[in-house]
Amino acid sequence: MNKNYDAIVIGSGHAGCESALALARMGKKTLMLSLNLDSIAFLACNPSIGGTAKGHLVCEIDALGGQMGITADMATIQRRMLNSSKGYAVQSLRVQADKNKYHTLMKKVLEEQENLHIKQGEASEIVVENNCVVGVRTKQGAEYSCKCAIVCSGVYLKSRIIVGEYSKDVGPNGFANATDLSESLLSLGFELRRFKTGTPARVQGRTIDWSKLEVQKGEDNIQTFSTMTAEKPQNVADCYLTYTNKNTHDLILDNLDKAPMYNGAIEGTGPRYCPSIESKVVKFSDKERHQLFLEPEGLDTDEIYIQGFSTSMPIDLQEKMINSLAGLENAHIMRDAYAIEYDCIDATTLYPTLESKQISGLYFAGQINGTSGYEEAGAQGLVAGINASLKLDKKEPLILKRSESYIGVLIDDIVTKRTEEPYRMMTSRAEYRLTLRQDNADIRLTEIGRKCGLVDNNRYNQFIQYLKEIDELDSVLDRVISPKELKEFFESKSEVLSMNSGLSLKDVLRRANITAEDIFEKFNDILGGYSIRAIKQWEINLKYSGYLKRQEIQINQAKKQEEQSLPSDIDYNDIKGLRLEARQKLNNIRPLTLAQASRISGVSPADISVLTIYLKTLARNK
Amino acid sequence: MNSDRNIVAISTALGNGGISIIRMSGKSVLKIADSVFSAKIPVTQFEPRKLYLGTFEHGDIKDKCLCVYFKSPFSYTGEDMVEFQCHGGMTLTNRIFEELVAVGCEPATKGEFSKLAFLNGKISLDEAEGVIDIINAESESELKCGYNLMQGRLKEQIEKEQNVLTELLAKIEVSLDYPEEDLEEETREGVLSVLKDVKTDLKNILDTASFGRCIKDGVRVLIFGRTNAGKSSLLNSLLNYDRAIVTDIQGTTRDTLEEVFQYKGFKFILVDSAGIRQSSDVVESIGINKSLKELESADVVLYIIDGSVALDDEDKAMMKSLSDKKCIVCVNKADLGTCIEIDKEMFDDVISISTKTGQGVEELKEILYNFVSSKNVNNGSVVLTNVRHIDAIKRAMTELENAIDATNNYINLDLVSIDIKNVWLALGDITGNSDNEKIIDDIFSKFCVGK
Repeated sequence: MNKNYDAIVIGSGHAGCESALALARMGKKTLMLSLNLDSIAFLACNPSIGGTAKGHLVCEIDALGGQMGITADMATIQRRMLNSSKGYAVQSLRVQADKNKYHTLMKKVLEEQENLHIKQGEASEIVVENNCVVGVRTKQGAEYSCKCAIVCSGVYLKSRIIVGEYSKDVGPNGFANATDLSESLLSLGFELRRFKTGTPARVQGRTIDWSKLEVQKGEDNIQTFSTMTAEKPQNVADCYLTYTNKNTHDLILDNLDKAPMYNGAIEGTGPRYCPSIESKVVKFSDKERHQLFLEPEGLDTDEIYIQGFSTSMPIDLQEKMINSLAGLENAHIMRDAYAIEYDCIDATTLYPTLESKQISGLYFAGQINGTSGYEEAGAQGLVAGINASLKLDKKEPLILKRSESYIGVLIDDIVTKRTEEPYRMMTSRAEYRLTLRQDNADIRLTEIGRKCGLVDNNRYNQFIQYLKEIDELDSVLDRVISPKELKEFFESKSEVLSMNSGLSLKDVLRRANITAEDIFEKFNDILGGYSIRAIKQWEINLKYSGYLKRQEIQINQAKKQEEQSLPSDIDYNDIKGLRLEARQKLNNIRPLTLAQASRISGVSPADISVLTIYLKTLARNK
Repeated sequence: MNSDRNIVAISTALGNGGISIIRMSGKSVLKIADSVFSAKIPVTQFEPRKLYLGTFEHGDIKDKCLCVYFKSPFSYTGEDMVEFQCHGGMTLTNRIFEELVAVGCEPATKGEFSKLAFLNGKISLDEAEGVIDIINAESESELKCGYNLMQGRLKEQIEKEQNVLTELLAKIEVSLDYPEEDLEEETREGVLSVLKDVKTDLKNILDTASFGRCIKDGVRVLIFGRTNAGKSSLLNSLLNYDRAIVTDIQGTTRDTLEEVFQYKGFKFILVDSAGIRQSSDVVESIGINKSLKELESADVVLYIIDGSVALDDEDKAMMKSLSDKKCIVCVNKADLGTCIEIDKEMFDDVISISTKTGQGVEELKEILYNFVSSKNVNNGSVVLTNVRHIDAIKRAMTELENAIDATNNYINLDLVSIDIKNVWLALGDITGNSDNEKIIDDIFSKFCVGK
C-alpha cells in the first residue's frame, strides 16, 4: 500500500489539529495519522482553555486563521477574564470547555476539511532520503510518501504513567502510546530527553458536598477568543473552591517514601509551574493551605477535575488525601491522578519555522518540543503547518516577531534557549506585552494570516470593516462634550471635572475611571453606530499612549538586528574574534537573525559586534 | 548596533595638552551641537569641513572653542559628525564630554567610531581586522576588570540592587501570571518603599562618580575666604613644595586660577576663588555666585580665616553655608597668635596654620590625603569611573523616577513593572545580566504557583 500526500501530520492533539487544518486549508493534500481517533483534540488535563498568556495565544491563533479559538468558544460552558482589575495588557480569557464537546467539534471540523484525510494508525518510522523527508511508515504496515512531515506526538512517545508503585507504558488516560517513533527519531540523529508532567484525579460530582464550598461564577460581558464568534457563549456551569489543610499535608509528609517524585521512581524533569501537590507541600512547608479549584469536565458527565492537586501517590493515599478536603469528605474518585513521563526533543535543533535543521521537510510542534499546554501546542502546530505549506510552495517562511505576537516569543524562546523543563507561556516572558494584547490580536495578525491564505473572505471583510470603524472614530471622538453634560457623568464615575470648557471624547477616555463601555452608554447618540470593541481600541491607545510610545521606540531600536539575517552556511569557527563559547553556541543554534544570536546565552555584545563586522565584510566581498 | 545612536568620545589623549578634541557621530549631532554651541551663524547652517570659532555653553561650562561639521557620508564614520576643539586639561574636556552626554549623546564604546567607519564603507577590509582587535581588546579588558577589585565590587553592588528588583518584579509578575492563586498581592506602598531604597543606593553609588573623577582627574580643592585672610599665600605655600610638577591648567571658563599639585600619589587641583570680595552685600553679587558654583563642584573646601582678628557676622554666615561640604578650616596667621575659637563640631577639620612660617602646611596636605584615602575605604571601594557605567546608572535613575511617579499616580502595577523592568535592564548593562529567565526563576523559587 503506498499513497502520496504533500504532508503528513503525526498526531491528532492540539498541535496536530492546527497543523493539519493549516496545511489542508492552504491547499496541501494532507494525511493526519492518529493513534486513536477518539483522542482527537483530547483535553487530557484541565477541562479548560486560555488563562494568563495562554488566552493571548488562542486569540493569536484565531487571528491567523487557526481553529482553536472558534472551537473553544463553541465548547465553552463557563468563561472569565483573568486580571480584569489590572491593565488591559495582562487580561486573559479563560474558559471551562466541555471536554467531550471540544473533541467532537474538532473531529467534525477535521472530517469536513477538504484536502484532509484522517487515519487511525501508529507512525513508526519517518523515511528520509538525502536528508529529506520522503515518507512515513506505520506500525500497521502502511507506507505513505510525502514531501514533508509534522511530528505532533505530544506526550505519547514511549510514555509511561506512574501511580505510586504502579507504572505502565501507556499514554494519557490509558490511551495506547507510541513505541517505535522514538527509535526512528534517534536513528535520524535527534537527542531525546525525558520530561514529566501529571494530572490530578477526577471525582464524581454527586459525591461532593457543594454546600461547603465557595462558588466561582462566570462573567458575561467579556470578549470571546474568536472574533468570528457572533454569539457569546453562555455561562452554564460553575467552578468551586476548596483548600488543603493540615491533615492533607500530614498525609503527604508522612508518606513521602511512597511518592514516586521523591523515592526516585520518576526520572523525568517536571515543570516548576505545574508542581504536584507533594512538591508544593514539601517545598513551601510554611504555607498552611493550598487553593484547589473544582472544575466540571463537561455538561454530559459528572466528572470533576481537581485543579492544583496533581499527584503520583498510590491510590489508597490519594483517596485519603482527597477525603481530607472540605466538601470532599465522601468524594468518590472516578479516575486516579497520575504522573506521566515521555520523550521529547531539544527544540534548539529547530529553525524558528519549526523545521529541523538536519532534515529538510521535517517539522515538530507541541509537547514533543518540550513545551506544555494546549495553547502552546496549538500555536506551534499552526506555525509548523503554515511553514511546511509555504515551503512546498517555495515561498518565504513565516517567522513571527517577538514584537508582534506571543507566538513569536514562544517559538523564539524554545528554538533559541534550551529549556530544561516543559515550557509554559507567561506574560512575563513577553518584553513587549503592552503591545501584545488579546484585544488587538486581530489587528496584529490578520493581515499575516490573510497573506498565508488562512483568513477567508468572510473574516477578512469583517476585519477591514472593523479597521474602518476605528479609523472613523478618530474624528467622531474629537467631538467636544459640554461641561454641563460631563458634570453628572464624571461624578457618577468619581472623576473630577476641573475646567469648564468642555472635553473631547478622547480626553474623556483618557481618564482612569472611564471606559469605552461607559461612554458608549452615555453618549449613545454619537457612538451608537460603532462597536464597543472599536471604541475600546481608542480607549487603550489613549490611556496607555505614554507607555505604548516608549515600547514602540524600544521595538524600533531592536528592529535593525531583527532584520539583519545570518546566512545559513556560516561556519562560526572561521570568524576571527569570536570567543570559543560563542562559536560553539552559534554553530549549534544557527540563529537566523542577529537579534536571535544576541539572545543566545553565552553570546556577548562584543561577539555581536564581531558578527556585525563579519556580515558587512561578506556583503562587501560579494 | 543601532544607527539611531549619537555617540561621543574624547579623541585626544587625556592629559594636560593645550587642546582637546571631542567628536560626535550620528544622525542628530548637528542638532545636539546647536543646543550647546553658538557662533556667528547657527550650527545648523555651518558649512561642512569649515572651522568656526564660538562658545560652548551648557550647564556650568563655558569655553571658547572651535567647531567643525562633517556632513555624511564625507566623514570618518560616514555619518554626520561634529568635532569640538576645546582648551585642554582633563577637567574641562571631561566636563564638556559629560555635558554632551547630558544633552543626548551616548558614550562611544571602544572602537565604535572605527566600527562605524568600517560599516559605512569608509575604511578598508584590512583595517576592519584591526577594528575587531580593538573590540576584543575591550571585552578582554572588561574581563580583566572583573578581577579588578574595584570593578568587581561595583558589579557586586549593582547586582545587589538588581536582585532586589528581581524580587520585586517576581512579586508583581507572579500575581499577573497567577491571578487565581491566593497570593498576597504586592501593595503600592511596598513597591514604593523598595524603589525608594534602590534610588537612595543608586544615588550613593552615583555620588562616587565624582570621587572616581577625583582619582582620575584630581581632587578639586577650593580655597575660600576673604582676600585678606591669606588665601593666595596658602596657595603658594601648598605649591611651593612641589613646584616641579605645578602645571597650569587654566580653567578658561572661570576667572579663577587652577593649580595642580601632587601628594602621595594623589592629584589635587587647587582652585582660587577670586570672586570673594569683602563686602556686606556681596550675597547678590555675581562674584559670589561664581564662587558658589565653584563651591558646588569642589570636593573639599579650605576655608581660610585670619585668626588674629575676631570673627564677624559675615564670617559666621559663610561658615554656616559650608556646613554640608567637606570643609577644612584653616586658621591662618598662627604666628601672630590666635584670638578666635572655632566650633569644631561644625567642620571636618580645623587646623592652625601660618603661611608665613609654613606652620601646619604639611599637616594640611596630610589631611587632604587622608580625605581621599578614607573616602575610598568608607565607600566600600566602589568607585564609579567608567563613563558607560555612569551612563547606565543615570538611565536607571530616570526609569526609577518614572516607576516612582507611576506608582504615586495610581498607575496599574502591570505598567509600573514595565518601568521597573527598564531599571533592571539598565543595571544589567553593568552586571551583564539581562536574561529574563532570572525573574521567572525567582517566581518559581519563591512562590507556590501552578495547577
